[in-house]
Amino acid sequence: MVSQLNPAWQRKSAASSRLAEISARFPDATQAATQGKNDVCRAIPFLLDTPEQHWITDELSHILTERGHPCTLCPPGEAHRIEHSSGEVQTGTTSAGNEYCLLAVPCPVTLLKSGIDHVVLLVPASLDGIRTAYQRIKLFSQHGTPEIGIVLVGPRDQHAAWRYFRKLAVATLRYLDVPLLNLGFLPEQIGPGQDAEASHRHNFLARISERLLHSGFYSTLTITRP
Amino acid sequence: MQLNIESVKTPDRERLHSLLIGATDQIAGTGANILEPRLRWDGQPILLADANLHPVLISFEPEHSEVALLNGLRGIEQLHNALPWINQVYESLQQQQQPPKLVVIAKEFPPGATAVLGLCPGLSLYRYHLLTVNGEIALWLEHLELTPATLPAQESAPQKDAAALPQQASNDILPPLSEAEAAYFQQL
Repeated sequence: MVSQLNPAWQRKSAASSRLAEISARFPDATQAATQGKNDVCRAIPFLLDTPEQHWITDELSHILTERGHPCTLCPPGEAHRIEHSSGEVQTGTTSAGNEYCLLAVPCPVTLLKSGIDHVVLLVPASLDGIRTAYQRIKLFSQHGTPEIGIVLVGPRDQHAAWRYFRKLAVATLRYLDVPLLNLGFLPEQIGPGQDAEASHRHNFLARISERLLHSGFYSTLTITRP
Repeated sequence: MQLNIESVKTPDRERLHSLLIGATDQIAGTGANILEPRLRWDGQPILLADANLHPVLISFEPEHSEVALLNGLRGIEQLHNALPWINQVYESLQQQQQPPKLVVIAKEFPPGATAVLGLCPGLSLYRYHLLTVNGEIALWLEHLELTPATLPAQESAPQKDAAALPQQASNDILPPLSEAEAAYFQQL
């Protein structure tokens, strides 16, 4: 029997029309080059459900650095535009810079303005949490859908995480035609500042970082520094 | 000793800035530390950490209170969004996750400004007066309180955390669910 993945669990391929939509949001590709110092980096934007969740991006940043992928946190206001090469967004191993840059953003509008084409949603494992995440994805889908990865925060176990993810992914596929990428989960037992759970927490975050790296889940952004 | 007090004409922005730097204890409490302006914020406010390492943004204008208020609100949103990075830049905050407070200082506030206080518990308004006392320049900061007219409305309204405001605003712009979508999300 040939196993076939439900499209909900597969990554959406980068359609040229969608890339064109994203490109159109950047009126002047030479503008950033005239302002300050520009760095090209692999940016992974995280849309937080609450600002308190930024410990997740903090620790992921450390873990990526530990694993030999220099990584910094970046304020969203600094990320000006996607660096295009021959009209294509650079992902995977074709990026110019090797440095990763995590953008922790609590407001979806900030991301819409940044024109990113990948985003990780940190979704609380609750009915309200996935409903709000769905609405956020719906908002993105009205402005040129980026690739969307999901990290469930606070499920009881893997089984519960899978149920929440499935509920959300089926809805986005059914009503918005948007597939989601499952990047993992952080169970309820782990959280910031709990030293006893540090290694446990590290393992879950390391798994998420592996999936991010393995799937080439980033946008190549030009960061303008003053 | 006889006190000779006179009012002084409106100072320029730099003068007011330096006077406010000297009055941070009065604004943010004893033990407040000024955070070096390493980041560019709209309106060039003053950023402090109070004694509890709570970030405090002081937005001020010598004349235009509306500009000070709007710049302050914009700054507080930027600060809120960039809190992880702020924590990296300013080690003295010691990775605090405290929501930022906003202090707006101007010469005069427009009618209705105190009503905004009722909606934003993290906001403080100060009216400044510049005086000379026996020839020495002195800054007098007058803390604006909620007027009685706004108090009952505040008591009946649900309390909102200042930190929750940007989050609330971000949720307000989310598109509504259709009937089918709402029904789908009724249960797991």
